[in-house]
Amino acid sequence: MGGTFTDFVLADLSGESLSFHKEPSVPHDPSLAVEQGLASLVADRGIAPDAIELIVHGTTIGLNAIIQRRGARIALVVSKGNRDVLEIARLRLPSSYDFTEPREQPLVPRDLVFEVSARMRADGSIDTPLDPGEVADLADKLKAAGVEAVAVMLLNSYSSPDLELELGNALRAALPDLQISESSVIWPEVREYERCLVGGLNGYIQPLKSRYFDRLQERVAGLGIGAPIYITANNGGTLSLGTARARPINTILSGPAAGVVASLAVGKAAGTGQLITFDMGGTSADISVCRAGRLEFTTTTHVGDFPLIMPVANVSAIGAGGGSVLWLDAQGLLKVGPVSAGADPGPVCYGRGGEVPTVTDCYVALGIVDPDRFLGGRMKLDREAALAALGKIGEKLGLSGDDAGVATAEAGIRVASAKMATEITKLLAEAGVDPREFSLVAYGGAGPTHANYLAEEANLTSVLVPTAPGTFCALGAVLADIRRDYVRTARQMITAQGGPGWDVVETIMTELQEEAEAWIRTEGDLVGDHGFAVSFNLRYPGQADEIEIVLEDEARQGLTPARLLELFHEEHRRHYGFDEPDSPIQTSTVRVAVIGQVAPVTLPEAAAATPAPTGHRRIRHRQAWLEAPVYDRAALGPGAAISGPAVIDQADTTILVLPGWSATADRLGTLRLTRETA
Amino acid sequence: MKLDPVLVEILLHKLTAITEEMAITLRRSARTTYVKEAGDFGCALANPDGRFFAYPAVMGVSGFLDSNVGPTMACIKDPEPGDVVITNHAYLSEGLATHMPDLHLIRPIFQDGRIVAQAWDFIHSADIGGGVPSSISPRFSDNFQEGFQIPPTKIVKAGVLNQEFLDIYASNCRTPDVNLGDLRAMLAALEVGERRVRELIDLHGVDTFVTVQEDLASYAGTKALEVQKQIPNGSYEFWDYLDDDFNSPVPVRVRCKLTAQDGEVHLDFTGSDPQVEAAYNIPTGGKRHPWLTLKLMHFIYSHDKTVPLNHGMFDHITVTAPAGTIVNPEAPAAVGVRSATAIRLNEALVGAMATARPGLMPAPSGGIMIPSVLVEQEPSTGQRQVMVLQSLVGGTGARAGADGVDGRDSSLANQRNTPIEKTEEEAAALISDYALCPDSGGAGRWRGGTGVTFTVRIARDGSNVLGRGMERFVFRPWGMEGGQPGTRARVVLNLGREDERELGKLDMFRARAGDTVTIMTPGGGGYGDPLDRPEAEVMTDVAFGYVTPEGALRDYGVVIENGDLDADATARLRDERRSGRGTPDRFSFGPERDAWEAVFDDATMTRLNAMLMRLPTSLRYDRRHQLFTAAIPGLTRGMADLAAAVGDTNAARGRLADAMQTLQAELDRGIF
Repeated sequence: MGGTFTDFVLADLSGESLSFHKEPSVPHDPSLAVEQGLASLVADRGIAPDAIELIVHGTTIGLNAIIQRRGARIALVVSKGNRDVLEIARLRLPSSYDFTEPREQPLVPRDLVFEVSARMRADGSIDTPLDPGEVADLADKLKAAGVEAVAVMLLNSYSSPDLELELGNALRAALPDLQISESSVIWPEVREYERCLVGGLNGYIQPLKSRYFDRLQERVAGLGIGAPIYITANNGGTLSLGTARARPINTILSGPAAGVVASLAVGKAAGTGQLITFDMGGTSADISVCRAGRLEFTTTTHVGDFPLIMPVANVSAIGAGGGSVLWLDAQGLLKVGPVSAGADPGPVCYGRGGEVPTVTDCYVALGIVDPDRFLGGRMKLDREAALAALGKIGEKLGLSGDDAGVATAEAGIRVASAKMATEITKLLAEAGVDPREFSLVAYGGAGPTHANYLAEEANLTSVLVPTAPGTFCALGAVLADIRRDYVRTARQMITAQGGPGWDVVETIMTELQEEAEAWIRTEGDLVGDHGFAVSFNLRYPGQADEIEIVLEDEARQGLTPARLLELFHEEHRRHYGFDEPDSPIQTSTVRVAVIGQVAPVTLPEAAAATPAPTGHRRIRHRQAWLEAPVYDRAALGPGAAISGPAVIDQADTTILVLPGWSATADRLGTLRLTRETA
Repeated sequence: MKLDPVLVEILLHKLTAITEEMAITLRRSARTTYVKEAGDFGCALANPDGRFFAYPAVMGVSGFLDSNVGPTMACIKDPEPGDVVITNHAYLSEGLATHMPDLHLIRPIFQDGRIVAQAWDFIHSADIGGGVPSSISPRFSDNFQEGFQIPPTKIVKAGVLNQEFLDIYASNCRTPDVNLGDLRAMLAALEVGERRVRELIDLHGVDTFVTVQEDLASYAGTKALEVQKQIPNGSYEFWDYLDDDFNSPVPVRVRCKLTAQDGEVHLDFTGSDPQVEAAYNIPTGGKRHPWLTLKLMHFIYSHDKTVPLNHGMFDHITVTAPAGTIVNPEAPAAVGVRSATAIRLNEALVGAMATARPGLMPAPSGGIMIPSVLVEQEPSTGQRQVMVLQSLVGGTGARAGADGVDGRDSSLANQRNTPIEKTEEEAAALISDYALCPDSGGAGRWRGGTGVTFTVRIARDGSNVLGRGMERFVFRPWGMEGGQPGTRARVVLNLGREDERELGKLDMFRARAGDTVTIMTPGGGGYGDPLDRPEAEVMTDVAFGYVTPEGALRDYGVVIENGDLDADATARLRDERRSGRGTPDRFSFGPERDAWEAVFDDATMTRLNAMLMRLPTSLRYDRRHQLFTAAIPGLTRGMADLAAAVGDTNAARGRLADAMQTLQAELDRGIF
């Protein structure tokens, strides 16, 4: 579900067909759009409500609540002396240079942070036990404060949840209406500020999300649909509604993750697992790097002002979206973004009062987007207005004449592409990989339009455009498996012979696996076989950063310490060009993911069609006008091949193929753009 | 601008990205905790002259933007492709290395037989030998005590690693494995830099690459000049003090005269104290230097966030830093804790700017950065373990329109803190308090940020608590435009217990099991009249615990009865206080500085320093110490009550005049 549209995908498990649907979102009552969309989808396709076996749903309301700070009134309980964990945060201020840049607003205001004497030591032993008198007193204060939720974060509780649970349960008994999140239950990882935020954010959105899930459930049931509802998660998996209610924090970044899941499926069908996903919408562009067909996770992402240390799909914002504005600074340098014209007033060409030209105006000015065929012709664009607005900037750049607007549009695209390409280069450097092996998967409204520019600038040789780029994240949701991650902090030294550190790590792995197994058995009858992936954060003793070694099911069986060391040395060499084969390694965290399979959705094959241009469009490229044939996306069936320059129209986007590039459609209808070798 | 402005914008992004990619490479594989936890490292691309034209926007240390690798490279007679030069030498590098643990590496990038750019990186390494582990102590009186000095040397010669140098280096530091790991990470980052530069040259041509360096600098310069024009034409003077120089109890004064003319700024630090025989000297080579201009950079950037980060930002700033003073010491003056002096000097610069135009700058922050360390001894093996306790800072100063930030301070190094749980993973001791300190922020219409209270509960006998950068124990972070100063720093043993005791400035304190050691950092200065702070804001501060009800009454004239505002009583009290005084002072320094300057006023100090500078360098320090203790016999280090030590002002002035007269007579006789 996005801000403007709620997207639907209906998948036939036989692999025969996929249906897509877009329903306008209802911002004040988001589940209403779900109800309306489901109703019309079911009606249009003539499906009996009880024939639906599974509903997978993703929503951004949790994320929006955090960003716009519209979550619950929440209190925080911490160990004595730690009251300012959110005030001091990690000390560093947002800007090192700018003294006008404000710090973040703490998630819980200081007058709703309460201290208790209860405190744990790093080894999990109790330094100061819980004082029942204090708890009673605290319950009174919480009641008086009128909070809806409470987060509990006691120092060192990453090593054992017992003390937090003792306190949490005592509060539950005293205040049954409050929703209580213990940090060690949500995510038991060392670092009090970060863990506090995981628990705190969970509590902050829990009341809101619970209410939302209630309504959603009612509405779906009201349509006569009895299928279970699963909620998409940050890690590219899904969770049962029950788990999502208890751990809403696991679901806030699910949209981008679902896009990556869909990209991997499309990539796999196209025979490649080396992907850079590129989701460009109205306000921003997001990318992620996937290697060997695997979703990559990060534990250093940010949500609004706050760090989030749970593993989430490693998606980064890289700047400009279609609505990003073009402007000149006082010295006459052309800038693109970060301000966005958004949907309202939107780009100049929308004719809704926007006066500042945007990247979308550039597409229109350059002739790529046909003003009469935008969104399948549902919205007429004003190209002249776009040109005039661009021309005004062009004059100040020293451009003049009839082509000033067009030349400015070209410059704007160059600047936007260069910015995005540098971000891609940095991300690839962080991953230590070569761009030439990677395909860009383009989706979102503007992704397919901009992808070829970006690929050219970032030295990529291949672009994949899926059949329905506008509802791609919804597709990812139905493709996802059930997945949940478990973590334990384990600071242990491991040598090739193992040693006591390895024994500890092995025990932790076993325990986590048992915990995960017990959970997945309760996630619903729909869940088929399950497997595990285990990952270690490792480093040489004293080293700055850690490298994550992930072991999927097979590699995990019979893992020896020697093998783990070997994998680490190898990965270190790949990243940094050197390793220290004689050094022991240190673990910091161990994570286990459990993955439960849901009946697989097969992507259907595209209908055969022969490409024939529906017309021609004059597009501007490298200061020259080119006659580009225009194709209908539906006409590009399996095996179709065309050469750039060309423009391909479809209802939810426009695809640009630059000169020097060609496009072919595979059996699913995925379009692959490749650089022609000279 | 010589190039097409669209191309310049594109290359700005690409060049910045190169330095960021270098930083990514360095940060990820460096091994020292200074990089790991504190981000104490840097990367950049320098032009052939040695000035940085590309610098990362977010990674590493922000303050070294105006560094200059030129003097270091000038020491290398025969640079060739594939070379990498290393130095940590404060004097030969003319202040590129500002203290010795900072290792700087430079890789010249050649094209067609000439250097077209230089890749640079630095890290604060774990240890470089010298008198104490981690190599920094305020007590060192010359830089031979501060560790292994590396004059500009080729660590890589034409692509071949200089193994002989590495062997000598490894033998001279306590943590050779960590240090060599760091060097590898630094070399890898430089290689990335060169590779990316080559790709850029291949794509855009070497001429464009060289020209854009100039274009970007002049672009930054133009923007900076526009901002600097906000400083009215004229000359403005200000000074501030370090409490002492550790080895003597004499306060150290830094003085700044800012002259502005149509945006062009000249900073004259003449009148600052002579260099000290302690580690507080700032090596600058006497030229424009990052640490002499830091606050101007913050000022420029705060007013124009589109300024590209390069040396051009400083093009309209010139500097006078006389040799032999604390802002341009002569070898072998020790430099380890130069950051403490740099903070104070930049606050003097802030004062000069605020004098020029109120509201131009925030009031000073807590103005300290204390890396506190715990050393525990394993009882069975006797093995010692050294752990970072915390990086402690105060709050930021208030400014017109905004309160200061509580318990955090980006003004010098904007570091991250160490999670309590990470400390306790390693230490037997517990951190029993890490909290904001109520009433510590300077009162004002806009309140200064509070300082913090940090307490460690010692678990093992004989544990040592170390801290350096202990400042603002005597002189307060001052308030502006009627705002009050923040509280001072304190270190207290067993706070709140019967055996509570002030420890003053600790260098190293040996504690017993069960002791608590509490470090309190200063609050930031307030801005504007506290009586003008709306009652509602004071009430919120009280509700949030930033200000106590007593503090509200004492500092703000806000009367609170049973938790509620007494509006009438507040109005009466505020009126009464307003009528009982004149216009508030532009600056409020607190009683300590007022008492001190009643004896050591600016004119006297300027004259005294001019006299001292006529002495041979080797004699200045002791003579200066004698002069001050003659004037103030009871002067001791870190004393809380300076006014009591000064005693009768006139008597003290008399003693000072006598001592100065004696010195003058000796100078006149030409006996030196």
